[in-house]
Amino acid sequence: MSVTLQLKEMSLSLNDVEILQPISATLQAGRLHAITGPNGAGKSSFLKCLLGLMPHKGQIKRHWPDKNKGVAYVPQQLAFEPSLPITIDEYLATTLTSRALFFKRASNIRAQVEGLLERVGLEGKKHLRLGQLSGGERQRLMFAQALGQKRHLWCVDEPMTGLDVTAQALITQELLALRTEGVTLLVVHHDPDWVSDYADEVWSINGGLAGHQVNLHAMSTVRRKTSKVMRCDQEEVA
Amino acid sequence: MEFIRQSVFGLYEIGVLPSMFQYAFLTNALVAGLLIGPLLGALGPLVIVKRLAFFSEAVGHGALTGVALGILLGEPATQPFVALFCFCILFAMLLHWIKSRTDIPYDALVGVFLSFAIALGAALILYVAKKVNVHILENVLFGSILTVKDMDIWVLLLITAVSAVLIIKGANRALLASLSPDLARVRGVNIRLYDYIFILLIALVTVASVKVVGAILVGALLLIPATSARMISRNGREFFAYSVLFSTLSCILGILLPMAGALPIPSGAAIVMIASLGFVLSLIIRRWRVIQ
Repeated sequence: MSVTLQLKEMSLSLNDVEILQPISATLQAGRLHAITGPNGAGKSSFLKCLLGLMPHKGQIKRHWPDKNKGVAYVPQQLAFEPSLPITIDEYLATTLTSRALFFKRASNIRAQVEGLLERVGLEGKKHLRLGQLSGGERQRLMFAQALGQKRHLWCVDEPMTGLDVTAQALITQELLALRTEGVTLLVVHHDPDWVSDYADEVWSINGGLAGHQVNLHAMSTVRRKTSKVMRCDQEEVA
Repeated sequence: MEFIRQSVFGLYEIGVLPSMFQYAFLTNALVAGLLIGPLLGALGPLVIVKRLAFFSEAVGHGALTGVALGILLGEPATQPFVALFCFCILFAMLLHWIKSRTDIPYDALVGVFLSFAIALGAALILYVAKKVNVHILENVLFGSILTVKDMDIWVLLLITAVSAVLIIKGANRALLASLSPDLARVRGVNIRLYDYIFILLIALVTVASVKVVGAILVGALLLIPATSARMISRNGREFFAYSVLFSTLSCILGILLPMAGALPIPSGAAIVMIASLGFVLSLIIRRWRVIQ
């Protein structure tokens, strides 16, 4: 149930400025890939290229093991208008169902929303407006919406920004649980300790691919649910 | 429509309704108001969330040129629907197209379009005013309850139905696209398509509201009830519900009060003034809640 990504000469230029030099790499399925590098090195741009959010050159191929082809994405710190009267449970419901938010929610959606909020420690705050959340709470909310997608490929952009120690432990626990489930995780992260403790592979980005390291220590400490992939669907990121 | 008019007249005859309800045009205007109010009220919160208040206002003002062009091209002066709709769509699409291909700040771009549309509209209107009765122009620009005919109500009903389907089906995705565009794109939401659908909706409601609210004041009715609702709502459901309530009440009272008081005020102006009173009321409620 894992997703492999193959990059062939993937590069990114914006307004004739080269952001990423051509990168060729294979991101193995079912692993936690840490994307590291200094500020402005192009880590988030790299992730956005993989998501199809930036107009890259070259090829990005995703190999899907089954029909579940979406990507769970946790963006870097979103800002919401403080006075906008949209609550966090409404926002989560919006990401789970197409039923317009001004209609009464179905009971299964209500239960799903409550379950997700509980998983990220926001259960007591479901009636808060989006703009009333602290940076850390917003990050947890973004994590909750990604959990709700139940995807095999996750792209996470600096998930620990603004989080306190407890919340960092909670999010780390969730990421490791996903890895145990065989989910392919791409995590942009700054903290070298976290990366060396938990990442299976480390991709250093600095205007291109500056280094790649397989972290045997982290790989040996994780027990995974491995499933034999019989057939993969291929998809190229536009 | 005839059935509704007969029923209202019957209620007047048995003394349930006051004497102003003996006039068929008032019933027509009320039916139109009951369709326009909820429509503009439901669209308003999306305008606010998408930060397109200034844009909606500009499209409404662009209607001035659309009306003048329609009359110049030979459409009936009281119903220049085709030119109005085409111009509003063209105006909005061109604005959006330039926005998506340049890095000009959006408010500055809307300002440029708004100024040009008003200037062109004013020039054309002055020219057209020599050819048609100036009161007809006033009615189209500021609304008049006297001018609502059966055909207008059927057009309005059709536009309301189409808009309601689009709003109900697309509200969540439009909301997600506005609050977290990258997230929406990753989830497969076609943001550009939703933007263009929204532009279509704004143009449609502008056409739909011409008779009662007037082309110039449509933008205000999209904005004011939703802004009032935003101030006193605790969640998204209340936001939509209050916006629909304020907008519908403004339409109904804006039609009835000038009639009851025999005041020579265009219906559009009366509706927007009542909506503005609702805004003041919301400010007071908000302040009172803070003190509490």
